[in-house]
Amino acid sequence: MLRGAPVRRILALQPGLLLAGIGLWAFGVSRIERQAIGPYGVLASANAWFFLGLAALLAGMVAELSRARPRTWLLAAFLVALIVAIHTTVPLLYGGTPEYAWVYKHVGVAQAFGQYHRVTDTSNIYQEWPALFTTVASIASLGDAGPLSFAAWGPVAFELADALLLLGIFRLLTGDRRLPYLAVLLYEGLIAWVGQDYLSPQAFGYLLWLGIIAIVIRWLLAPAPAHCRLRFVNTARAFLLRGRPTPADASTAMRWIALALVAVIYFAIVAAHQLTPYMVLLGVAALVVLGVVWRGWLVLALLAVIALGYLAPRYGLITSQFGGVFSGGDVFENASGSQGILHKAAELRTGEVVHVLAAFMWLGAAAAIVLRWRSLGRVALPAVLAFSPFVVLGVQSYGGEAIYRVFLFSAPWCALLIAELIAELRGTLRPLVSALVCAAALVAGLQGLYGPAAVYAFTPPELAASLWLYGHAPPGSLLVLPADNFPGLEAANYAAYDFQIMPSDPQNGASWLNEANLGDVQQWIDSLGHPSAYVVFSKSMENYAGYFGYPTGYEQLATAVAADPAWQVVYRNADVVIYRVTLG
Amino acid sequence: MTVRSLALQQPRTRTGLTAWAGIAASLAAVILLAVPGRGPRLAGAFLLACVPVGAAVMCWVDSGEGLVQAGLTLVLSLAVTAIVTAVMIWLTTWQPTALFAFAVIGVVSCAVRLLRGGRPCCAERQ
Repeated sequence: MLRGAPVRRILALQPGLLLAGIGLWAFGVSRIERQAIGPYGVLASANAWFFLGLAALLAGMVAELSRARPRTWLLAAFLVALIVAIHTTVPLLYGGTPEYAWVYKHVGVAQAFGQYHRVTDTSNIYQEWPALFTTVASIASLGDAGPLSFAAWGPVAFELADALLLLGIFRLLTGDRRLPYLAVLLYEGLIAWVGQDYLSPQAFGYLLWLGIIAIVIRWLLAPAPAHCRLRFVNTARAFLLRGRPTPADASTAMRWIALALVAVIYFAIVAAHQLTPYMVLLGVAALVVLGVVWRGWLVLALLAVIALGYLAPRYGLITSQFGGVFSGGDVFENASGSQGILHKAAELRTGEVVHVLAAFMWLGAAAAIVLRWRSLGRVALPAVLAFSPFVVLGVQSYGGEAIYRVFLFSAPWCALLIAELIAELRGTLRPLVSALVCAAALVAGLQGLYGPAAVYAFTPPELAASLWLYGHAPPGSLLVLPADNFPGLEAANYAAYDFQIMPSDPQNGASWLNEANLGDVQQWIDSLGHPSAYVVFSKSMENYAGYFGYPTGYEQLATAVAADPAWQVVYRNADVVIYRVTLG
Repeated sequence: MTVRSLALQQPRTRTGLTAWAGIAASLAAVILLAVPGRGPRLAGAFLLACVPVGAAVMCWVDSGEGLVQAGLTLVLSLAVTAIVTAVMIWLTTWQPTALFAFAVIGVVSCAVRLLRGGRPCCAERQ
């Protein structure tokens, strides 16, 4: 009994940390004042309980990973708890209101499909790539609940699903019980900031892409590359694949079935999102060039036919919105992110944090590859998947978003490469480095995720105001936002309204209007040709103007219209005022 | 053949477990969708979109790894739901209730899989 006691204590320590971590985090979230969240975000406003909760979860998981025989159920529980903690904090703080203004556009398209049962606007790029929206509409219809009732929980749902696939893929690649959990833990920190997991076609496409990768790795890897007529290709492949573990065997019939499953999943991706199919194609193409995919050129041709067959009749829409498939070959310009973002103060600091994180990720992955130069085959697959997404920067900026997609599609493999490096450390160094690296990635990632929370997260009164607007403004009305940061376009009949953002923000490409001048603003509204307009002022617009520094005259405009009798208040709550202004 | 004897006949293979999960999820989805109340119906709708079709396929295909088995069940279900619902919109034949067919497909495929025993289709080449 005396000899067993310490062992039992050790066995109970990690489950204790799990429960304590969840409890502390939940208590910490309940004590955070939403109104106190400033321009540096949730972390700067959080209390010690919140940090202790996250620290307990991280420490417990690293402690469990350091055991000789880690309990996978416990590792899974830690991972689920961490993902839930990371991705439900903001929705909990904001009363379950979906974050990001652009999520509401997605909700609107799903609502439109649910109400009108057809494509109502062929010039709307979302309606022409409808697969996610129709899925959401069908679930909402069967569940008798609008998409707004579950959209806020999109990030946590997608991240949990992604983690499931990644754990499985990493198990297939490494055959290890411990390493996949360390890699996914690191991954969750690395990608927290990139914000591509909200209810969106790209998040959906990303999940399906992981499914394709799982199928390729399980059933479509060739034991040895086929002989090529070009000698240097064979030499290069032999060098790059030296020391490669033997892939899982599969019958020919199973390989054909796997190929059919890939085609089905890929078609769903193609019908859901414009860019993701090409990210998938790049990854598969890189593996084909490496010579590791069974009937690689056939696989590639099949995917290309599906992608191009879907794109061809819709190419005009792509040309009008993104300037065609090739928007310019300037890699640096394509990698520079969203144009017109005005980096200042808190936004600048948060931006710097995530830039350092991204640099750390790619440099760490590159180091892991270089350190295995004698047997590159051990890391060939993750290395190729980690760096092939960069090719997209040679052809597309995707409205400034391409670099974020490159990061996202690269992150799982970088996390695996870095985790493998850490796993090779001996003694106490391994848990120490694991804890430090994961904690650093998590803190940096969370700052990137939570930093702009006061800007991008909306309060229930703001959503209520938006719903009031669509419920009361007659169809055909002009709806005006002085700043591009408000829940809008979420109604099924969103297209029936003339929804306008004041041209006063360089981040939207137009900034000639001075909002501080009420006369100019009224003249611009008058020029839109409606007898009256509904103009919205909100707390999150104010936060947006403070965070980015634009539109510069927002506060003056809000003050001026409050004193002008032509501007009639038609709705007011704690965070929003809506005016109707009649001009002309 | 009773359910108990079926269960005993099936070793705890991944495909066997997938089949049982597929049947359970299909039935649970239908029951939840029949229950009044928004919460259960929404849960049922998600279950219907996320499990039955994938289980109907994956109960025949052993990935060799439980997490991959579960992940592909989810991904295949979502992919098929996405394609079927998009086709409904393109053909202007919007009938979300047609997704109940997924539950039928899930139950039938998984039950056949259990009745046929433990030999997975497309057995690995030795």
